[in-house]
Amino acid sequence: MAGPGGNKEYLFKVLVIGELGVGKTSIIKRYVHQLFSQNYRATIGVDFALKVINWDPTTLIRLQLWDIAGQERFGNMTRVYYKEAVGVFIVFDLTRSSTFDAILKWKNDLDSKVKLPNGNPVPAVLLANKCDQKQEAMAHNHSEMDQYCKENGFVGWFETSAKEDENIEEAARFLVGNILASDHLPTTEDTDIDKLKLEEETMRAESKSQCC
Amino acid sequence: MATDLPAEQELVILGTGLQEAIIAAACSRIGQRVLHVDKRMYYGGNWASFSFSGLLSWIEECNGQTSSSLETVNLQCKILEGEDTILLDQVDQSIENLEVFCYVSAEEDAEEAADVQMKQANGTSSAESENKVLNQSEESPSYKTAPSDDVESPTQCSDVQLSTKDAPSASSSTTSEMDVDKKEIPITAASDDGNEANNAEKPNITFATQKVKEEMKKMTYSQIMKNGRKFNIDLTSKFLYSRGPLVDLLIKSNVSRYTEFKNVTRILTCQGGKVEQVPCSRADVFASKQLTVVEKRMLMKFLTFSLEYEQHTDEFQGFQDKAFSEYLKTKKLTENLQYFILHSIAMVSDTASTTEGFKATQHFLQCLGRYGNTPFLFPLYGVGEIPQCFCRMSAVFGGTYCLRHSVQCLVVDRETGRCKAVIDSIGNRITCEHFIVEDSYLPQKHTKNIQYRQISRGVLITNGSVFKSDSEQISILTVPAMEQGRPSVRIIELCPSSMTCPQGTYLVHLTCPSSGTAKEDFEAVVTALFVNYNETEEMTCSDEEDEKPKVLWALYFNVRDSSAIDRSAYEGLPSNVYICSGPDPALGFEHSVKQAEAIFKQLFPEEEFCPPAPNPEEIIYDSDGTQQGDAGFGSSTKTEESVKESINENAEPIGGGDKVIETTQSLDMNEMNQESEMTNPDAQTLKCSTSETNT
Repeated sequence: MAGPGGNKEYLFKVLVIGELGVGKTSIIKRYVHQLFSQNYRATIGVDFALKVINWDPTTLIRLQLWDIAGQERFGNMTRVYYKEAVGVFIVFDLTRSSTFDAILKWKNDLDSKVKLPNGNPVPAVLLANKCDQKQEAMAHNHSEMDQYCKENGFVGWFETSAKEDENIEEAARFLVGNILASDHLPTTEDTDIDKLKLEEETMRAESKSQCC
Repeated sequence: MATDLPAEQELVILGTGLQEAIIAAACSRIGQRVLHVDKRMYYGGNWASFSFSGLLSWIEECNGQTSSSLETVNLQCKILEGEDTILLDQVDQSIENLEVFCYVSAEEDAEEAADVQMKQANGTSSAESENKVLNQSEESPSYKTAPSDDVESPTQCSDVQLSTKDAPSASSSTTSEMDVDKKEIPITAASDDGNEANNAEKPNITFATQKVKEEMKKMTYSQIMKNGRKFNIDLTSKFLYSRGPLVDLLIKSNVSRYTEFKNVTRILTCQGGKVEQVPCSRADVFASKQLTVVEKRMLMKFLTFSLEYEQHTDEFQGFQDKAFSEYLKTKKLTENLQYFILHSIAMVSDTASTTEGFKATQHFLQCLGRYGNTPFLFPLYGVGEIPQCFCRMSAVFGGTYCLRHSVQCLVVDRETGRCKAVIDSIGNRITCEHFIVEDSYLPQKHTKNIQYRQISRGVLITNGSVFKSDSEQISILTVPAMEQGRPSVRIIELCPSSMTCPQGTYLVHLTCPSSGTAKEDFEAVVTALFVNYNETEEMTCSDEEDEKPKVLWALYFNVRDSSAIDRSAYEGLPSNVYICSGPDPALGFEHSVKQAEAIFKQLFPEEEFCPPAPNPEEIIYDSDGTQQGDAGFGSSTKTEESVKESINENAEPIGGGDKVIETTQSLDMNEMNQESEMTNPDAQTLKCSTSETNT
């Protein structure tokens, strides 16, 4: 588990939530696979995507981006989805104001379902996606958005475009920075002493001949 | 919100209990369109797990204080000529005799509670640091993250503790054979040790008692409430047999990636009011101080025989159908051993046949050592995780999920007699090929000739373990009938590291087939093992009373057991309506997996039941989105390879390091024993599906 030379290694589970069709999957695809597809397809068969980030010379971060399964769109995600998440992107579509109106519903749902181990809310970044379609985009000004984030417990917001690859990298770095700054840091090495140990014991128990 | 539900489905499933969830996952996995709804606002039905406040809401709901009934819509306009309707029940009657007892003071002591909470949050309470000093001689890395019984551990004085000290964490089976040998020789000396330990620790006890009392003052209802989020209280209390069908299914389907397990660490027995640990592995048997040398030999001989009892049927000729308990009496086993075998290992009733007894003993022994030194596993965060894991799998493969949503009636075609559609709670008409429903949703009209059994359930929040230890333990204790006519009671005790209760508390689940109300069924057992927390008596209680854990809060209820009902007993239902039972009273999950698979096989006899889901990191998004993969993903070979490479270089196989994924590994690894092999089956699966896509 430990990186070479005592390097730090983290695994972060990050949720990507928001209304149907706001571009959650596109953002993940763009960020993880450098791909963008015009064709919309509900997300099927995909739990999460993994992005490995060399944060700095001594820190390796594995970012697990959990898409909501396309069909869990009524907000009835299972605990499996939420548990042990350390960061969240809430996405809305700049061209559809109804998706902006739904943000607080998602945020409240999130805060009621998952908290950091220290009891604090999970850091959430707001993504205003499809900023490439400016002509149709809702009017909003930056100071208002800053105020909105402050009032509603978002650590920040970004205008993004999965299509044009705008700001997605930046938003991810911003969120990871916030996760690293929060006092809960689940490294692959030390969060889980109990369970790693259990596994080792498991292995030993297995290799031993059966009882009796 | 749910107005835009898809109007055409292959399956509509009502209820999110375990069987329904497994069926949903299995059907979505093979590409069927599944609509899965539950009238409640949580997953799992009577399989759910709740935080403390969630449990209080559930209690209110059961008591009818809040109405869960959904508004219904006029149906007539939705029904066509030649169609009949079957109305479903919107009132759940599966829970009865619900009683709640609160023994802690309901008075708010804000300052103290906040203080305790703050300490817990910082993880640096004074008790903990003392605890560290007390335990520093032990090699117990688990104390770093699990400063569990910081109060109780110093009060330890049991002799069995000596044997567990070598392996203070989850599993004492790892005690090496060497250790066992060392212990085996001086048996009598060992029991002397035990006495010495008792004497030696006396000063400690008084010291500890004081501390316990200090801590006690802080135990208030508001403190339970404040830590309520840390509870995950199961309505159905079970363990997984490590070689049982649920473990196999979790591994086979890759649903295991969604959850983690802990080994159950102790099997306890209660004889004459005294709780003891049952030795069941070879190491345990030899390390045991309760058994004499002669007993150890007898027990080993018997267990070895049980493993291959089928090959020696002549040995118990004539006893096959007679009681196992009678057979044991003929085997030159001491009473002590007969008791162990019957109640703690076979866990069968006094009247179970010899063949049943051997079968159960054999299953128990076969499950030992796969993951730990008991045959059982417990899911972190509670049993309620399991149905949710299958629901997530179904959703990932396209299942539509909607809670707080129900089906108010079925539409039956008069000519074919089949259910052709359902009308949901907001009046949508949704066509379906098959309808799957949990028993408790069915109206009385169709169940009037059914005599349901009941399961008695008890949930206790206590301040300590029934059998104290210096590390956190997950235990099972079977207590045989204490009064005539009462069934034996299964007790599962969970510690904080099982993620089901906050530090300083234990969660005790009692289960038995009902003979009366749950409270009546458990009264004798609870009185024998626990004392009710009582603040005013705290200062005067005797040493003996001090030994027993105190009940802070208790819940009793009876839940309907529909597991033994045959489908043919339900009257007047179309043939394409399939019925899942609620939870069954057995310890394992055998019934649920069997029932779910049987229903799936009826639906899709040709299809594989829960084939492995591809691993997330093996799934590649295509760049143009023109290919239609069977599971919705296509592939472009080049990217696939490059991404795979980067995964292999940069990451552990299968997203190693992740908690969720790690479980998959731990389960898989034991199956295959090699990390490198693990990626292959999935890669193959993926390749199969992608090559199909390309042709």
